[in-house]
Amino acid sequence: MEISAFLLFWAAIFTSNILLTNFLGMCSYLSVSKEVESSLGLGIAVSFVLVFTTALNWLAYHYLLVPFHIEYLQYIVFIIVIAAFVQLLELLIERFTPALYYSLGIFLPLITVNCAIFGVSLFMVIRNYNFLQSIAYGFGSGLGWLLAILMLAGLRGKLREKMVPAGLRGTGISLIITGIMALAFVGFSGIAPIQ
Amino acid sequence: MLSIILKDIGVITGVSGILAILLVIAERWLNNYGDCKINVNDKRELTVRGGSSLLNSLSEAQVFLPSACGGRGSCGACKCKVLEGGGPVLPTEKPFLSEAELADHVRLSCQVKVKSDVSIVIPESIFNIREFKSVVTEIIDYTYDIKGFTFELEPGETIDFQAGQYVQLISEPYAKVKQGVTRAYSISSKPDTNNAIQLIIRLVPEGICSTWAHTQLKVGDKVRFTGPYGDFYLRDTDADILFVAGGSGKAPIKSMLEHLAVTGTNRKMTYFFGARTPKDLYLTEEMESFEKVFDDFAYVPVLSHAEPSDNWKGKTGFVMPFFKDAIRDPKNTEAYLCGSPGMIGAVTKSLTELGVPKEKIYFDSFG
Amino acid sequence: MKPTGKELKTMQRMQPGVQTLSGFLGDDTRPLNEIIQDDSVVLDKLGRSREEIAKRMESLTQASWDSYLEGILVEGKYQVQTEVYRGRMPCPFGHPGIYRKAVTTLTNQENGITVVWTSLSMHMIGAHGFFEGRGSAYRLEPETLIKALFD
Repeated sequence: MEISAFLLFWAAIFTSNILLTNFLGMCSYLSVSKEVESSLGLGIAVSFVLVFTTALNWLAYHYLLVPFHIEYLQYIVFIIVIAAFVQLLELLIERFTPALYYSLGIFLPLITVNCAIFGVSLFMVIRNYNFLQSIAYGFGSGLGWLLAILMLAGLRGKLREKMVPAGLRGTGISLIITGIMALAFVGFSGIAPIQ
Repeated sequence: MLSIILKDIGVITGVSGILAILLVIAERWLNNYGDCKINVNDKRELTVRGGSSLLNSLSEAQVFLPSACGGRGSCGACKCKVLEGGGPVLPTEKPFLSEAELADHVRLSCQVKVKSDVSIVIPESIFNIREFKSVVTEIIDYTYDIKGFTFELEPGETIDFQAGQYVQLISEPYAKVKQGVTRAYSISSKPDTNNAIQLIIRLVPEGICSTWAHTQLKVGDKVRFTGPYGDFYLRDTDADILFVAGGSGKAPIKSMLEHLAVTGTNRKMTYFFGARTPKDLYLTEEMESFEKVFDDFAYVPVLSHAEPSDNWKGKTGFVMPFFKDAIRDPKNTEAYLCGSPGMIGAVTKSLTELGVPKEKIYFDSFG
Repeated sequence: MKPTGKELKTMQRMQPGVQTLSGFLGDDTRPLNEIIQDDSVVLDKLGRSREEIAKRMESLTQASWDSYLEGILVEGKYQVQTEVYRGRMPCPFGHPGIYRKAVTTLTNQENGITVVWTSLSMHMIGAHGFFEGRGSAYRLEPETLIKALFD
């Protein structure tokens, strides 16, 4: 894939936003976007995990799976690596920066089941990124996810006092808003081809 | 085919296994804080297993810092000075600590984790607080919702408290309640009996501990409590005394009166017991007997909702209008109040209007 | 919507026997956010905010504070009485602060409705929009409460 890591980084945030373009990572996005502060915390944690797991998974893919011709095991291996990494990260944060651990709290283990993380690793394989591109894509996707969840959290905050039809309250209106945001982001498509 | 399957299984098992081992090692290394020393007041050194909160580590070493929320970081009662080893101040502590306290190294002990040697400073009185194991020796039904429980300590054990202090009773799991809770009750027996205490417990709607005490406890049951706590106690002067307490607030007053009966006193004392109906009266004989024991003691129950059918011959209404006649020299009068914050506020206002100095009004507020 | 980890912890603290005898959820099977959401729909329909309701409850409780044995008639038709029990309790939502155990009974003499609330339930309504689960000891139906407080 011929694209500079730098351009890929920006493309991952705006023109190919993992959430608004690929619709990955929706569960925690929908449930945590009720408050701006927790959205910020979760977004930062997701970005952090994305960078490292993409890198680790790239190494696992190219130095373990490919040599043994077992590329089809990538699904299982990637998930194991993500789960283990999140667990290790939780331990490290708890030990060395307890203040940060308390701010992130329950969000850390919730990240393991965020499909955006898994999705980014799979995209990296499909699109054949090199190591630098993978890191750029991972970091960019994280920031893109952070951007999306912050936007929804801000909008939901403003909606709290408004008259939303009863059937659409909560999830319904959130999905509609997300769809509209995604439509806006469709305007970016084609600007920087990343696949 | 088989070799492919075996290779797959081998790789997956290998990856999972290696990562799992890494995690176990990481956890052992990261979560193992070893034994830590807690230096208390530069006088005592406790050795505890690292990793728990300072509050819990101390209580395991039989040093009980007060806590109203069970170590959840909700009440701010467990403050103590941590000179060394406390780590950074956590966001969960900040709402409870003023700038001055932060500068003075005051921390919330339920949020501080003991990961290395710690040096702390706590008030001396904390050392007197211990955990006691006891046995129920008597249960008395005082009214429709108040019972008196006597707990006798283990043979040889004694408790050293002042009349007016309270203990924290630890309830046991029962029915749907899966874990114990701690609740505060004033000691109603005299400190001169130091191998047993009595608590007067009122059944509180939805109350876990009072329901446990009223429905589960039988004579012979084992019960634990910690204490003594509190700074509500009789001042050793010769001023006149006004006691005002209704309902279960009678407990600390009973303790004070029984103690005075032992030490002897010729202070002028009046006890106003405010209640709604005759059903709420209890321990009337004991209070009336004090009128014979002391030179100058009057027990004045005042009912606010006595019906004509009750045939109540005593005083009616609120207690406040009757203070005037009981006070001979307002400047030389002390008042001991125990009850709801509303009662304490109303009574304090009435007493200060009559000239009793605010500093001489001591109270034990329920809320 | 699925409850977050924080909500699950709050719901655990609301179980019977953890803070109070029968807990704060009663026999309601809905998750916490749904209980709050459903009640907030009723509030919107009746045009009252949670803060407005809590403020009214607080002012009525405060009026009855000094008449600790008897209760007091406020504004000519609200009979309010407050009883206080010893001790304080943290809020199950898990933030700092502990609340006294005051139980207030209000009877609206005009429409005959009687409601009972505690200091903690007042706080949970005002700060969290939580009226407790159906079947819990101090559950307040928003419609009944509003009728009792404002009519």
